[in-house]
Amino acid sequence: MSSCFLDEETFCQCCQLLLQHSHSLCDGWSWEQVKGSEGYLRKTALGTGRTRCILDQQGNSSDQHQERTFSLSFHNDEDDEDDGAVCCIQEESSSSSVVQYEYHILYSCSYQTPVLYFRASTLEGRSLCLEEVWDSVHPNYRQRLQHRPWDTITQQEHPLLGQSFFVLHPCRTEEFMMPVLKAALEEHRQVNYIVTWLSVVGPVVGLDVPLSYCTQVPEPPHTPSSSPQPPSSSPQPPSSSPQPPSSSPQPPSSSPQPPSSSPQPPSSSPQPPSSSPQPPALGTKPG
Amino acid sequence: MADDKDVLRDVWFGRIPTCFTLYQDEITEREAEPFYLLLPRVSYLTLVTDKVKKHFLKVMKAEDVEEMWFDFEGTPLKWHYPIGLLFDLHASNTALPWSITVHFKNFPERDLLHCPSNSVIEAHFMSSIKEADALKHKSQVINDMQKKDHKQLWMGLQNDKFDQFWAMNRKLMEYPTEEGGFRYIPFRIYLTMSDRPFIQKLFRPISSDGYTHTLGDLLKEVYPMAISSDDESKRYQVVIHGIEPLLETPLQWLSEHLSHPDNFLHISVIPAPSD
Repeated sequence: MSSCFLDEETFCQCCQLLLQHSHSLCDGWSWEQVKGSEGYLRKTALGTGRTRCILDQQGNSSDQHQERTFSLSFHNDEDDEDDGAVCCIQEESSSSSVVQYEYHILYSCSYQTPVLYFRASTLEGRSLCLEEVWDSVHPNYRQRLQHRPWDTITQQEHPLLGQSFFVLHPCRTEEFMMPVLKAALEEHRQVNYIVTWLSVVGPVVGLDVPLSYCTQVPEPPHTPSSSPQPPSSSPQPPSSSPQPPSSSPQPPSSSPQPPSSSPQPPSSSPQPPSSSPQPPALGTKPG
Repeated sequence: MADDKDVLRDVWFGRIPTCFTLYQDEITEREAEPFYLLLPRVSYLTLVTDKVKKHFLKVMKAEDVEEMWFDFEGTPLKWHYPIGLLFDLHASNTALPWSITVHFKNFPERDLLHCPSNSVIEAHFMSSIKEADALKHKSQVINDMQKKDHKQLWMGLQNDKFDQFWAMNRKLMEYPTEEGGFRYIPFRIYLTMSDRPFIQKLFRPISSDGYTHTLGDLLKEVYPMAISSDDESKRYQVVIHGIEPLLETPLQWLSEHLSHPDNFLHISVIPAPSD
């Protein structure tokens, strides 16, 4: 569990490289910064989602959100052909409609991973509720969300803006990142952590990552001090990853540490020529 | 001399006398009387206000009732913040009882999280505990606990059972002796005059040369504005559980004794009263 963590500096560098490619595609990512605090990636996009609408007596539908005091329950897609939705009083139906999404990528210092925040609203400006967001997840991914609580979507407060967002829970990010990073290291392939991570979590919530990101966006300049390693948890030479400002480079690691399960070649990591991004050895034609 | 363990009890049993008044624009069948309640500092609004809801529902029609939410002087109160934190942050230097306004309509979607059931509160509470343990122990202690142990933490909070809660929580407060403390301290510093809701960063309780970091060290590093220099009058108060701990207090001690049940130190920085 050691090479799959991301320090904040590497996070920022990966984001800047992603941004450069985004500008060339004009696909809408920007870097935002709340005054005096950390920055994050942001993008808005139109997509489809399943939203609730109330049917009146004539069977006409209007976009309205009936506030519920019942507990939310997740239900299968098969139900949405029925007129009666699971937890509503009035007759309602769920239909496909255009939804405005807003995605933010933040860095979590607690888990040392990126976190995807998002919110969704109808074109009339009504915020989608958690139920509607669940319903909007593509059926291909829904099973994954149902059976794996670590993939779950919950409503959280945005740590920099203080507003309500939906979040994909980050605590098990290393489970899917580790095999990818390990393989890339062994095969001397470049991997941009954010691009790889986003290509896994993004599509679950309607955010597509064009293939060119994976072939065109390099990893940040690779020196031993900036490689993605957990700050000081496994035995490392003192000059490794950047440390949070108030702590020392290496605490005495005298307590038993979990054995490092992925190989850590101390100095044999690929060294691209300084500052010019290059396509990976196995890259395909830009497309 | 008071035992350190007494501090744990004092923190757990802290209460805030509160007066709940129905928002004037809510539609009622007859006049609604205010409702008085002692709120536990360490719990959450939506967990302890069933009585408030029942009281006001007596004078309202079902169709006029949607999800209940609260405001203080126009500011919607975030139920996912501990009650004591909300009070310290917004109402520290106002007269008791704390006057909260109750709403059943026009839920502020952008500002407040929905809370349709207690399981949402439980999920949020456990998520905070897990995040705190990720910082303190790289999640080793919380992951070693069984599901029923997690449940015990939640039930202890929900039912106000100090002993039941701490039987489990003490494990989350342990650390290898040779380390001298946790890996990082779970804390959040809340500011009233800022765009961002809180500051949270990585911060070690003990430096590698064995120096014990204090509350003052934390603030100097993470929010230096909170500390006024000696020659000027104090501009801010640094408040935890309604008190101002000395800045010389070791951060590790604060984390073990003044954390909330979610294992976080919730620290308010508020303007000092000008008198």
